[in-house]
Amino acid sequence: MNFLRKGGNRVDKALFEIYQSPQLRNPSLIVAWQTRDVGKLSVKIIHFLNEKLGGQKIAEIKPSGFFPLGGAAFKDNLLRVPESKFSACQKSDLLIFQSEEPKYEWYNFLNGLLDFAQHYCHIKELYTVSGTVSLTAHTAPRRILAVYNQPEFQKMLQGYGLEDMTWEGPPAISSYLLWLAKRRDIPGISLWPEIPFYLAAGEDPVATKLTLSFLDSRFSLGLDLGELDSDIGNQNEKIAQLREEDAEINEYINRLESGLSLNEEEQVRLARAVYELLKE
Amino acid sequence: MGIRLFKEPELEKPDLICGWPGIGNIGLIAVDTLKGVLKAEELGEIEPWDFFYPKKVSIKNGLLEGLEFPTSKFYYQRLEKRDLIFFIGEEQPTEGERMYATGEKAYQMANLVLDVAERFGCQRVYTSGACVSPIHHTVKPRVVSVVSSEKLVEEVIRYQNTILISEIGGREGEGVITGLNGLLLAVAKKRGLEGICLMGEIPDWLSGSPFPYPKASKSVLEVFADILGIRVDFGFLGKMVAQIEEIVERLYEGFPPEIKERYDERKFVVQAKPRGITEEDAKWIKEHIDEFFKKRGEQGGQSSV
Repeated sequence: MNFLRKGGNRVDKALFEIYQSPQLRNPSLIVAWQTRDVGKLSVKIIHFLNEKLGGQKIAEIKPSGFFPLGGAAFKDNLLRVPESKFSACQKSDLLIFQSEEPKYEWYNFLNGLLDFAQHYCHIKELYTVSGTVSLTAHTAPRRILAVYNQPEFQKMLQGYGLEDMTWEGPPAISSYLLWLAKRRDIPGISLWPEIPFYLAAGEDPVATKLTLSFLDSRFSLGLDLGELDSDIGNQNEKIAQLREEDAEINEYINRLESGLSLNEEEQVRLARAVYELLKE
Repeated sequence: MGIRLFKEPELEKPDLICGWPGIGNIGLIAVDTLKGVLKAEELGEIEPWDFFYPKKVSIKNGLLEGLEFPTSKFYYQRLEKRDLIFFIGEEQPTEGERMYATGEKAYQMANLVLDVAERFGCQRVYTSGACVSPIHHTVKPRVVSVVSSEKLVEEVIRYQNTILISEIGGREGEGVITGLNGLLLAVAKKRGLEGICLMGEIPDWLSGSPFPYPKASKSVLEVFADILGIRVDFGFLGKMVAQIEEIVERLYEGFPPEIKERYDERKFVVQAKPRGITEEDAKWIKEHIDEFFKKRGEQGGQSSV
């Protein structure tokens, strides 16, 4: 078997395509999943960071054994190729990993991810980013719910305005990764920005900006987030227009703004109307 | 991929008795009840990560407290007549979305289970599952056996309420024991161990239902008690049987009279081949059962964090 060596540890080379050696010191790892990407938050965040911070693709996890390879999937006329890639932002000392959720062998996939990040790139911390669906109105302030894998790390991140989550149920892949990182003594946090349910199928620039603000502040990135304000303004304007034109939709959103709930049928109607509006 | 043993008791040629989920959870309930009755102690476990996805995460006040995986545990007990090792798996390892174990992972699991058994000197392996049969639900399920050698045929036919699978018609002497109940015995045979599969009968029309069929588990458990020379209190199992009988009776009451009449013929016949209902009847029952459980299952999904 072939192994990569950097430092004292070994990484199974057969799992990876390596494009260049990372010029990172002691980076933080940011992980985003494109599967079930609520409000397209993960894709937006990673795209923004890679673009603004000059992220360079350095490696990827080979799909064999993790993704179905019996053909090629497509959506909206476009082929979808499973990609699980690492990018390095040298100046900011960030390692970014973006991937679809593997279909098979999560344990081996996630351990491969951590092997590469820990032993080859020497990461110090892990951050996962995924949107979570919320029953709040789009006009309400968003929160970022947080899950930590070490109490010390939780203490360290106090003061960033994150809210502790309490939850029990089926684990998302981010929670699995966070748990595996804990076993390796890598401090980690899962960020779960809230996204109003009727923006979940589209985009939520408010949640995107909020999450980027946290990352900007945490890593002193010096990002200019002003360009997101025009996206936020446009979206708010369109929804305001819809509210003026459709009394029923307006009433639904009014109720959410007053902290009241909608029944399932009303939720579907609102989500569909906003999705149709924003996809244009 | 590993085994964790919590202790190393001295056991004398223990028999291995295995239970996994399957149709009606017949084997699992029988083996788990036996383990409980005998107050078997924990012996070890197979680490789950290579075989299973986590089923639950616990997050409290922002801290990830843990992930819960399906367990695959060993237990042991020394009896007067013989020593026993139990293996109870909460899930069968699968590749893809099948219910039963298939592929390389199932083979690895079977070998790990047998590695532990052989380490303690095991020479005989029992598995237990379901045998889908054209029986009436009011009839006491028989225990259907498949064994690894002719010598064992002589033995199992002496067990109470037990028949050989060849005594059930419609199979032309051939068949497959699906999942680990079969695979484990195949691997055990390759290793030179004796293997016996004890399957409790479940009425064919109930084989796809989501509830357990403890009546068949009870039949299997009676056979195990017979083999081991022990007395078992069936109180708990009896309650479970009564609860499920109530549900089954309600379903049965919904049969159209002509199907009911044909189905009831099964009460009076020792089954050698499928009879009592037509293919059309079977189709009607299946569709209506599915509908019944679909209604019960439509109570919303769950998201994950």
